[in-house]
Amino acid sequence: MKKKRFKISHKEVAMSLSDKILIIISSSLTLVVVGVVLLAGFEVEQILLVGGSIYTLGFFLTFGVSRSFSRRMLDLTRQIEEMAAGNLSTRLQVNSRDEIGQLARAVNDLTKKLETGVAVDVSRHKEISQAKTDFVNIASHQLRTPLSIIKWYLDYLISGDAGEINDEQKKYLTEAYRGNERLIELVNGLLDVSRIDLGTFSIEPEPVDITEIVDRACDKFSNLIIKNRLTIKKEIEKMPKINLDPRLTEISFEHIISNSIKYTPVGGTIKIKMKRDKENALFKITDTGCGIPEEQQPKIFTKLFRAENARKMESVGTGLGLYIVKAVMEKAGGKIWFKSPSPELLLEENEDQNIDNKDKLRGTSFYLSIPLKGMKGKSGTKKLTSFK
Amino acid sequence: MSEKKTILIVEDEELMLTPLAEKLKNQGFEVVKAHDGAEGLEKALKLHPDIVILDIVMPKMDGMTVMKKIREDQKWGKDAPIVMLTNLNDPDKVSEAANYNVFDFLVKTDWKLDEVVDFIKQKLEMGFINFSA
Repeated sequence: MKKKRFKISHKEVAMSLSDKILIIISSSLTLVVVGVVLLAGFEVEQILLVGGSIYTLGFFLTFGVSRSFSRRMLDLTRQIEEMAAGNLSTRLQVNSRDEIGQLARAVNDLTKKLETGVAVDVSRHKEISQAKTDFVNIASHQLRTPLSIIKWYLDYLISGDAGEINDEQKKYLTEAYRGNERLIELVNGLLDVSRIDLGTFSIEPEPVDITEIVDRACDKFSNLIIKNRLTIKKEIEKMPKINLDPRLTEISFEHIISNSIKYTPVGGTIKIKMKRDKENALFKITDTGCGIPEEQQPKIFTKLFRAENARKMESVGTGLGLYIVKAVMEKAGGKIWFKSPSPELLLEENEDQNIDNKDKLRGTSFYLSIPLKGMKGKSGTKKLTSFK
Repeated sequence: MSEKKTILIVEDEELMLTPLAEKLKNQGFEVVKAHDGAEGLEKALKLHPDIVILDIVMPKMDGMTVMKKIREDQKWGKDAPIVMLTNLNDPDKVSEAANYNVFDFLVKTDWKLDEVVDFIKQKLEMGFINFSA
């Protein structure tokens, strides 16, 4: 059963306390005086008159004392509430040396200590955050410089500008060039991850035609699509322009589409479906690829993780793409999830709906949901840069 | 044949400067090198090259300052063709450069040497669009 909780205000607490004190003091004082008078042998009328007067006097005296007490208790309560709410700049006025005065002084000291501590913490946090950002910026620049030197010299050698090279030499130099490109991609990806982790990347929404972004992302991999004879199917519902950060949206779709392309074997199919419900634009990207092993699925959005079968199939990849997309989606108010195996395209292609058991474990569907009201803007000092 | 076009490359990293300068020379351009921002600014204002290729992170004076100081020159500098060629992949710097009518911002790791050379050749052949006019 649900327990009821009654909220009693600090004012009620303080007032009920002072009322009780008032009654206790007045009654005790009257009882003492009446007892003394009875012992001294006075008449009942005299006793009632004297007792009544004393009770009235005692009542007003104790009323004044208790009012002052309750006011000071209220001040203390308010101060503690302010502290709890994070306002550490106010202080209590301390005019007495009694117990409440001492308590007020102690509360003031505590507030001051908390204020100083919080200020130190905030400035320390800012310093650490700034140092991390500086490190990432400097490291990314310093790492890119030798990488671009290697890139340009290999390019210089491969193009034959430094003298003729034979086919075997060209093959080895080209491999070295590819390895260097992977390093460049990794540095760019790590830089983006740092910007996500530091929270320094910005989201700048503007009206975007999402169909164009999906088309551009597909075009970017047209060489691989042709090389691997992949079929790209699109089922696209007309969408209004949505307020999205174009760069972040492009990065997200590029990562998802490039994964589908990379992990789908020769002759396979990729289907991109776009539709909308009342509040969201929904995307489903399904492939006929190798699927994601069940035991590795919980790790799929973690940094630098690559599923075992993906590594065997395609050695190139940083393991940062899905981490970046998930972070971008979440920070922009959207969602990403997946289903694997997802053999629906294989079933679609097979008219009698009969595929062997091995194929039933293939295929992955990635889902993206982006609110039609658009991404939430977020100010930041940096923009994400990674493009595959 | 028309007079050789002059290209000023301002780049502190000798290892980057050499292959780019060699490639451009092989294409028939006159190449002038500067190894830091201050030297680059001095040579730019003195020689009035047909194009300035500017790195950003450099000793003595950074490339962004060199670019702004070139733009202060009211005769040649205000419309001088400038290409930023850097590894500082910072969109904020891209926007800042655009405010000074510099729209070409190349990140070295994204560009092959041949692609940079072709880009510079194209720029010199087609001319620069002056958005400030």
